[in-house]
Amino acid sequence: MRKRLLRKNRNLIAYHSSLMSRLILSLIVFGLALEAHAEPARLYVNDKKAPENLKDLEAIQSALIGVLPKVREATVCIDLGDGSGSGVIVSPDGLVLTAAHVSTGVGKELTVILKDGRKLKAESLGLVAMTDAAMVQILEKGPFPFVEIDRTGSTQLGDWVFALGYVGGFDEERGPVVRLGRLVRTAHTTLQTDCSLIGGDSGGPLFDLTGRLVGIHSRVGEHVQVNMHVPMSEFISNWDAMLRSEFVGEGPFAEKPEKGSGFLGLATETRSEGGLTVTKVGRETVAEKAGLLEGDVLLKMNGTVLTDRDQFQNLLKEMAAGDRLEIDLLRNGKPQTLKLRLGER
Amino acid sequence: MNAKLFSIAAIVATAHVSEGQQTLESAYRTTGTAVVAAFEPQRLVLQTSSAVILDGRRELVYGVVISPDGHILTKASEIHGVEKLSVRVNEEAYEDARILAVNNEWDVALIKIDATGLIPVVYAPTSAVPQGTWVVANGVTQRKVRRLMAGIVSANIREIPPQGGAALGVILSTKSKELEIDQFAENSGAKEAGLLKGDVILSVEGQNVKTLEELTATLDGRKAGTTIQLLFRRGGVEKTIDVRLTARGEMFDDQMSRNDQMSGKFSKRRSGFPRVMQHDILGAKSIVGGPLLDLQGRCLGMNIARANRAESFAIPVEDLKTLAESLMKQAAK
Repeated sequence: MRKRLLRKNRNLIAYHSSLMSRLILSLIVFGLALEAHAEPARLYVNDKKAPENLKDLEAIQSALIGVLPKVREATVCIDLGDGSGSGVIVSPDGLVLTAAHVSTGVGKELTVILKDGRKLKAESLGLVAMTDAAMVQILEKGPFPFVEIDRTGSTQLGDWVFALGYVGGFDEERGPVVRLGRLVRTAHTTLQTDCSLIGGDSGGPLFDLTGRLVGIHSRVGEHVQVNMHVPMSEFISNWDAMLRSEFVGEGPFAEKPEKGSGFLGLATETRSEGGLTVTKVGRETVAEKAGLLEGDVLLKMNGTVLTDRDQFQNLLKEMAAGDRLEIDLLRNGKPQTLKLRLGER
Repeated sequence: MNAKLFSIAAIVATAHVSEGQQTLESAYRTTGTAVVAAFEPQRLVLQTSSAVILDGRRELVYGVVISPDGHILTKASEIHGVEKLSVRVNEEAYEDARILAVNNEWDVALIKIDATGLIPVVYAPTSAVPQGTWVVANGVTQRKVRRLMAGIVSANIREIPPQGGAALGVILSTKSKELEIDQFAENSGAKEAGLLKGDVILSVEGQNVKTLEELTATLDGRKAGTTIQLLFRRGGVEKTIDVRLTARGEMFDDQMSRNDQMSGKFSKRRSGFPRVMQHDILGAKSIVGGPLLDLQGRCLGMNIARANRAESFAIPVEDLKTLAESLMKQAAK
């Protein structure tokens, strides 16, 4: 049986931004949140093989109804332009966990849509290509509603869990769709539940009955009861690398950009006094978006002094789409530094 | 089925196949026998107050018993054109079920069997229950025993507009400069109304239409299941006719999305409802038509569509009560 990814294909334009201050902030806030929260009590019904009576069923129902309003607020739609997935906010400043096959790469420009329809600019951070874990950072000012992560891996086989996600895409009137189920299989890097997932759910959150995040939706089998999620342990063990916007490993869920796949969108000519003069900035290119102008004089790229066009081209050829560039330049005789990421050819 | 599940896991975790993998026995899964057993009180309500609607021996869909003397509500489009409808309630079989009235906008039919002493559903006071509330619906039936599936209320109550907009179900001739009918879609309201190939559409609700754009514009915002008055010309004679509108997406099969492809069997008519509550009970497409019960066994609504792999719709109890009353009045005329 083939596994199916839960989002549609699309193309993306790479986007530039410096995120360091936001990333550091999110680390600190996250650290604080961890210390402040004690472990919530485990629902007794989870330790029964099956609910036996009305009381047991009502216990599941009241736990679910109790935590649902809060976690629905933090469940987001991730709009990729020509397709969409889901995600969940895990810090007040807008760090989002999702699936690698939703974010598709590092440094991609995305739109995060909140439950109330607010559209927020966001950028993908790192991902784990082998297991389908990824991070996205909202670039606008918070605080945002967020959920707690189960960092202890306390969820066991048979536990009652629920899935949220924007089935088939964002729908404000409907809201995110919730589905209840049980954890029916666990393996090292995968949780399987009988919460039925479909396209648009990818990257959405799986919660336990205390409202803690235990997994991220990844893929399904053809049978409605075969639904796969990436466990939190996979996010936690790659947390710092993803925050540093690293493309971790190789695998089926995201394709690493190849060397030479980057595109800047500039025409230059060698300048006799050293450096390169910009003769043309391509429309809708990363160069234009970064603010480069015709007449700018490029002096250094990532610290290397630029001498002529061929050298500049050769430097770029060694890089890939999504790689960071720092360009020192002269504009109207004044020195300036621009940061951007290479676009896709 | 187990072999299939294994092959999926193998794709996922080739490097860790033997490492701490655990699987829950199927009886303890959400739809498993051990879990379903906890809902025995609600199952007993389905046993007495839900109906199985059949074409001969073939089960078509379920129904909601609303009177002791045999009035039953069901999904209209699933019994459309069936000549010999029969019904099972509890352990009894009833031949010769009659369709008394139909509401196309909601896709609900009122049928009648000759019965006495049936136990009608008890309506819940409101459909406005929180998301996460348990709900129970008919599962695959046995001859004498009703079975159940359980799930939860899973999204906001809302209107489901007709998928792809409301349409007449005609394909127009590309050769003619007029709006000449060339073919009909399956389940076309225009065909049902008696229009023929070669008829030329002249106006909709009194508004003249000369181009496809003008025709489409007159249908904009209209609801599936409602009727429009259409003026057409056949052999030089102009006539007026009432045509039922249908969601475009439900008439043309080639519009299957990727999500549809992974959804198994879904209801043909699954959009164009004025108001629905949503739940996560899946099962076969034939689970529709029966009551949606809460944990107290009260009727929160009537299952009206399995939309896809993750979404099922029910008519909320308030609307269902109004609908039942108006269909009973319609039948009395």
